[in-house]
Amino acid sequence: MKRSLLPIVILIIVLVFLYLPIVVLSLNSFNASRFSGTWDGFTLKWYSTLMQDRTIWQALVNSLIIATFATIGSCIIGTTAALALNRWQTRLQTLHNALIYTPLVVPEILMGMSLLLLFTALKIDCGRHTILLAHITFCVSFVAMTVLARLQDFDTSLIEAGRDLGATAFQAFIKIQLPLLMPGIIAGGLLAFTLSVDDFVITFFVSGPGSTTLPLRVYSMIKHSRQMPVINALSTLLLAVTFLAVIASRLLQIKRVSRSHPFISTTIGGTNK
Amino acid sequence: MNHKRLHEWIVSLPSLFWMVAFFAVPTLLVFALSFRPADTLGGIGAGWTLQTWSHLSNPNYPSIIWRTIWISLAATVICILLALPCAYAMARAPVRWRAILTTLIILPFWTNFLIRVFAWRQLLHPNGPLKQILVSIGIITPDTLLLYNSGAVLLVSVYSFLPFAILPIYAAAEKFDFSLLEAARDLGARSMRAFISVFIPGIRRGLISAALMVFIPALGSYVIPDLVGGPTSELLGNKIAQRTFFDRNLPHASALSALLAAGVLIPLALLALAMRKRPNERGGVGSDRKKS
Amino acid sequence: MSAFVSFKNVTKRFETLTAVDNVSLDIEKGEVFSLLGPSGCGKTTLLRMLAGLETPDSGRVILDGQDITNLPPNLRRVHTIFQNYALFPHMTVWDNIAFPLRVARYPKQEIARRVKGILELIRLGDHDYKYPSQISGGQKQRVAIARALVDQPQVLLLDEPLAALDLKLRQHMLLELDLIHDKVGITFLYVTHDQGEAMSLSDRIAVMNNGRIEQIDPPAKIYEAPRSSFVAAFIGDTNFLQGHVTSISHDYCNLAIVGLTSSVKSYNDKAIRAGSMVHLSVRPEKIHIAKTPPEFKDDLADKINLFSGVVEDIVYQGSHTKYWVKVGAHRIVTNMPHMRFQLDQEEITWGDSVALWWHADDAFMLEQFHATDAALIDPPAQYEEDVEIFRGTGNEP
Ligand SMILES: Nc1ncnc2c1ncn2[C@@H]1O[C@H](COP(=O)(O)OP(=O)(O)O)[C@@H](O)[C@H]1O
Ligand SMILES: [Mg+2]
Repeated sequence: MKRSLLPIVILIIVLVFLYLPIVVLSLNSFNASRFSGTWDGFTLKWYSTLMQDRTIWQALVNSLIIATFATIGSCIIGTTAALALNRWQTRLQTLHNALIYTPLVVPEILMGMSLLLLFTALKIDCGRHTILLAHITFCVSFVAMTVLARLQDFDTSLIEAGRDLGATAFQAFIKIQLPLLMPGIIAGGLLAFTLSVDDFVITFFVSGPGSTTLPLRVYSMIKHSRQMPVINALSTLLLAVTFLAVIASRLLQIKRVSRSHPFISTTIGGTNK
Repeated sequence: MNHKRLHEWIVSLPSLFWMVAFFAVPTLLVFALSFRPADTLGGIGAGWTLQTWSHLSNPNYPSIIWRTIWISLAATVICILLALPCAYAMARAPVRWRAILTTLIILPFWTNFLIRVFAWRQLLHPNGPLKQILVSIGIITPDTLLLYNSGAVLLVSVYSFLPFAILPIYAAAEKFDFSLLEAARDLGARSMRAFISVFIPGIRRGLISAALMVFIPALGSYVIPDLVGGPTSELLGNKIAQRTFFDRNLPHASALSALLAAGVLIPLALLALAMRKRPNERGGVGSDRKKS
Repeated sequence: MSAFVSFKNVTKRFETLTAVDNVSLDIEKGEVFSLLGPSGCGKTTLLRMLAGLETPDSGRVILDGQDITNLPPNLRRVHTIFQNYALFPHMTVWDNIAFPLRVARYPKQEIARRVKGILELIRLGDHDYKYPSQISGGQKQRVAIARALVDQPQVLLLDEPLAALDLKLRQHMLLELDLIHDKVGITFLYVTHDQGEAMSLSDRIAVMNNGRIEQIDPPAKIYEAPRSSFVAAFIGDTNFLQGHVTSISHDYCNLAIVGLTSSVKSYNDKAIRAGSMVHLSVRPEKIHIAKTPPEFKDDLADKINLFSGVVEDIVYQGSHTKYWVKVGAHRIVTNMPHMRFQLDQEEITWGDSVALWWHADDAFMLEQFHATDAALIDPPAQYEEDVEIFRGTGNEP
């Protein structure tokens, strides 16, 4: 039976649609013209302008600091959440489950707005600390989800075997459960880190003076800067970094799976963040 | 027994506390503060009032709400129509190709959301390449504006949310038993007919989560209309941000947010209830969604 | 005398289900003791209560004179071989085996010495650097055994340890387990639903059913002298006959059996009086079959129960052939080993009239009988009833 080619054609068109804007943007970062419509020859001047812009580097540092702490915080809270959700089936866990899952389906602007109201009501000045609190909040759900997925195919008889062989409950947790969960926690942590570095909307609502993160800086450049090509250069650099990271984690994953190691088949790069 | 309860509470406490303090309470605060007056310093005044809500009858708002709904609906429908054939083609591709295609679909969306919207802003810009090409083929006149209108908002929304539609549909399609399609063809159905009456019901769950994963973020969309829309294409999200950052009228912003929250949470709660009645179809609705 | 391990009136419930029901049993030091019973009868639950992985609702568990009922698993010197081995996938073979020594804080040299020694015992010295996913099922099994034996527990618990292996490997591991037991001399509590494993390995067997113990005896006694219809039917194959005692002569009694016309003579070890009801279990291999029975001498003829019947079904089973013979209202099953196939004997086929006989000493009187246990016996093909069903539907208007 002959299959229709139409779906494949549409898939190709969609892929072109997805990549075209990004490709054009990257090309334009090397375009000597200020306007993207005309090609005035190859240049790297936008990149050198970018290198000299200290505010961008300061914003990047801010982003990385916040993301690091947000990752640590959300990994701890998200992992304990997953452990509780997996272990007990009580009313409390039904509520817990709702509290963990609802943030995933709430529009970001709502979360940003509600946190801003909270900080205003408590008379807390916004800054890096409020951004950190907000980031931990939305990252917890993603970490919990990732770790829970790994816990669900965790063989509980391993813990029992550990206890049976003389380990205390704490030793069994540290020596057996935690190492086996680690790939899930790492995957969740990578997800949290990228989401934190990437977030604009929530950060926008809870940021304050001196706490500009990279996305906030990019936004104000888009809104106010006359130098569009500099944004192109910055974007191209960021694109390159993310593409390399994704490809590396994919390759790593394939290699590990093919080596058929017992406990590292979680989708580190495969999680569609 | 008591010991067990204590253990459960200790393990649950960090996340319970955190999510109550920084998610549940603030969300309720949105509803509560919409009944408070604004104070002149941009904070929240004392006492209770219905004034804010009565402001919402201002003729401006119904049209914005209406526009938010129709753009979100249109984006959802277009995304699903595009995602269906893509997911189908991906699911029928050889196994080696599937991983590559999935990565290709996800890859652009590991990049910053602002950058992707900015890329479109440049493409559609009056001095941008797309405008020049379209003018030179004669499809549009030089004074047609591609940017700053509802069309641009819709286009970029589709672009931004398309992977959220493709991935869940693909996940469902991958599990679909394609021999059923062959069987339907064998029984005399034409291929389109077989597609609609066998394939679509077979991936129903994927379709539902795809629809939600496009519709909900679209409803709360703020960056897209802000960067590629104009005054005639403002959405609810823009109004919330305006009331927050320009007028600094937090109660007013709260009322608008409460409206958005109700619009998102009530249908979701109903859906969750409906799903619970059919335990074999249970599953997290937004379990693999990216924030945007 | 007190036993090494004892369960005293132990009961365990899961919600409404009573998994272990008032079980008492004693295990001697150094013996291989088996729990044998159908799946779901509570064997694993009983074993887990000795390991400390479940706590009994009532009753006590005693180990070497100490009440360990509420002791956590890590404080008991009792180790388990889990059905799926439960090897730690993130540790090498070496680290898996060293685990119990490390958590008990043995000195480094001592750990190395012991692990090395036990690796030799299970002949896996060359594989110590591998991960569990990189070794075969039989090797995993041996690693699990080594890990459980390395710190010399008081009791080794084995929960269906061979169930995941294929037939040949299973037979091989059975011998190996026997050897290991001979070497280490530790008490084994072995759980299985496979009577073959239990019979060949155990010093004593406890047969379990529905959370209760039906009988505790050495393998031969379990087979030859089952106390209940469940034990008789679950272990091996048998025929059940029901009747009452008509008369008693010395050690023997004469029985009037329901569904048989002539009386049956049986050894009366239970000293049952005339008039009382009895149930007999007769193993198929104890029943002889031939077209024409041989001549029995006078004193022998007195103790032989001889019947004639018609062959209804024949199943060839390699080492022997199984015949179902209609005798009166009964279908009697009998096994005939092939070495006894004699050229001068006529071959028996479907529908033949045959003679069946067994010695009065070869039937065994049961203490308990439940009609439902008869269903456990290899069911003979029953076409008559199926036909009945077809007739029934045919008569519908
Ligand atoms: N944790 C548990 N919760 C509920 N029921 C259980 C649990 N463990 C065992 N059971 C039930 O108890 C009965 C005995 O189980 P088990 O001891 O595993 O039997 P066996 O090992 O003989 O197959 C079974 O009906 C089983 O379903
Ligand atoms: Mg069992």
